[in-house]
Amino acid sequence: MPALIRVWLLLIALAIAVLTIGPPAMAQQAGDAPAAVTIDKRKLLVQPRNADGTVQQVSIFEDPVLWARDLQQTFYGQMSGALRNVRHNSSFAATWTLLLLSFAYGIFHAAGPGHGKAVISAWLLATENDLRRGIVISLMSALIQALTAITVVSVLLLLVASAGATARNVAGVLESASYGLIGLMGLYLIWTALRGLMPVPASAHHFDSFQPLQNHQHHEHGPDCGHAHVPAAAEVKGDWSLAKAFSLAFAVGIRPCTGAILVLIFANALGLYWAGIASTFAMAIGTFITVSAIAAMAVYAKKFALRFASQDDRWINWLGFGLRLGGGAVIAFLGTILFLGSLGSSNTMM
Amino acid sequence: MALRRSISLLSALIISLAWAPAARAHPHVWVSMRSQVVFTENGLIKGIGLDWTFDDAYTSMALDGLDSDGDGVYSPAEIAPLTKENIESLKGYEYFTAMRFNDGKQPIGDVTEYGQTWSKDGLALHFIVPLKTPLDPTKGEFSYKIYDPEFFVAIDYVDKDPVAVSGNMPQQCQLVVKPVPTEADLEQTRLMLSTKGTDWKPENNEDFGALFAQPVLIQCQH
Repeated sequence: MPALIRVWLLLIALAIAVLTIGPPAMAQQAGDAPAAVTIDKRKLLVQPRNADGTVQQVSIFEDPVLWARDLQQTFYGQMSGALRNVRHNSSFAATWTLLLLSFAYGIFHAAGPGHGKAVISAWLLATENDLRRGIVISLMSALIQALTAITVVSVLLLLVASAGATARNVAGVLESASYGLIGLMGLYLIWTALRGLMPVPASAHHFDSFQPLQNHQHHEHGPDCGHAHVPAAAEVKGDWSLAKAFSLAFAVGIRPCTGAILVLIFANALGLYWAGIASTFAMAIGTFITVSAIAAMAVYAKKFALRFASQDDRWINWLGFGLRLGGGAVIAFLGTILFLGSLGSSNTMM
Repeated sequence: MALRRSISLLSALIISLAWAPAARAHPHVWVSMRSQVVFTENGLIKGIGLDWTFDDAYTSMALDGLDSDGDGVYSPAEIAPLTKENIESLKGYEYFTAMRFNDGKQPIGDVTEYGQTWSKDGLALHFIVPLKTPLDPTKGEFSYKIYDPEFFVAIDYVDKDPVAVSGNMPQQCQLVVKPVPTEADLEQTRLMLSTKGTDWKPENNEDFGALFAQPVLIQCQH
C-alpha cells in the first residue's frame, strides 16, 4: 500500500505542475479598477469580452462562483478545440494536450460544488482515520463516475442515433439516484452510531451495579479499571470493508460528470470516440486528485483530534459517536437537499 | 413564439455542431423586443433602434440592491450604472444586431444613445445601434436580424407593432417583416442540417443562430 501513496503524491505533483504551467486562461485575470457603483457581473446580460473576442475573466476574489463558471466555460472551449485538433492533425501532441486539459478540468471541476467531496470527507471523518482508505474510496468514486459517463453515452449512442439531449436527461435521473443513495448512506451511518451506542449504557449500568453510587467520584483509572466496554481506538477506526467503501463510491460516483458526457458526445460527433474515453479517464484522475486531497485533510483532521483525545478513552468514545452521528446527519442532509433540488432542475451546474 | 419552440432543436444543434457554447445552449434571459429602422433627415438609414423589455426573473435579479434610497422606485439615476455596463458589455457581441446590405454584413459603430427605464411593466432598455456609415436604401436591399447566436438571451418580437420606422424613409421604400419561422420551417431547417457535415456553415457568412432569427427588410423600388 505505500506504493499507492507514492503514486498519489506523484499525481498531486503532476496536478500542481499542470495547474501552474497549465491553461493560459487561468493565467489571465485582469484586475479592473472598480467603478463608483460596482455592478455585480452576474447582473449583466452578457459577460464583457476582450478586444480579441474572448470573454473577460472575472477575478476569483471578485466573484468566486462566476469565476468558476467562466473557467469551466473556458475549459469546455479548449477541450473541444483540442478534440478538433486531434481530428485534423491526429498528432501525439494534440492528443496529449487534450489529456492534460481533461486532467486539469477534472482537478478544477471537482473543486466546485457536488462531486461528493463533502460526502466522502464527512464519511471519512465519521468512520476512518486511514489515509490509504480515503485514497481508495476517492479513486473508486472517480473511476465509477468515468465509467458511468462512458456507459450512459455508449448505450445511448448504440440505442439512439443522436444522444445529445437524451444523455443529459439520463444524467439528470442518475444524478437524482446518486443523491438518493447518498441520503441512505447518511441514514446508515446514523444507524451504526446509534447501534454502537446501545451496548454502552447497558454495560455502564452493569458497571455501576458493581460499585455503590457513593463510590463514583473515587472511581480510579488504574490499568485494570475494567474499561473494556469502551471501544478502543482501533474500533473507532471503523468498520472498513471493501463492500462498504464500494457502496459509498458507487453512491457518489453514479452521478456522471456532465463535462465528461459533453466531451464524449462531441468526440463521437467527430468520429473520435476513443479520444473522448481517454479524456474522460484523464478527467477522472484529475477529480481523484482533488477529492483525495480533501479526503486527506479530513483524515488528518480526525487524527489530530484523536491524538488530543487519546488520553481519555471515554472522550474518544464520545468523539467517535459524535462524529458518526454528526457525519451521518450531514451526509443524510446533503443527500436529501441535493436529491430534492435535482428533481426540480436537471444538471444546471455542470 | 415560434422561436421559443426551436429551443430543443437549437440546443441539439449547438451541442452537435458548435460544442463550445453548449453550456449556454438554453436561454437564461428572455427579451420582448420592438425595433425601429432609424432614418436620417435625408433618407439614409442611420441604424436600428431597439427596445428590450426583460423578463421578470432577469429584472428582479438585475435590479436587486440598486434601489439605493429605498423608496421602492428604481430611478434612471439608480439604474444608470447597470445600463452603462450592459451597453458596454453588449458591444463585444455587436449588440446582437446583424445588419446586412445586399447580403454583405455592415460594420456597426458604438452605441451612444441609450437609456433604461423601470416601470410596473418591467425593465426596458432602449438604444440605437448605428451603422458605421449611413446607407442609402434605394441602392440595394437592407435587412437586419436581432438575435443571440449562443441563445443565452432569447430575443422575441412582441406581437403588436413589433417593427416601425422613424425619421424620413424615402417614399418608394417599404418596411417588410418576414414571418416568424413556423414549426414546418424549423423542421425543414433541421432536415437540411441533418444532411450536412460538421464542417458545414450557413451561407453568406451567417452563423447558426441567424437561421432561426426573424429578418426585417427595407425594400425600395428602383
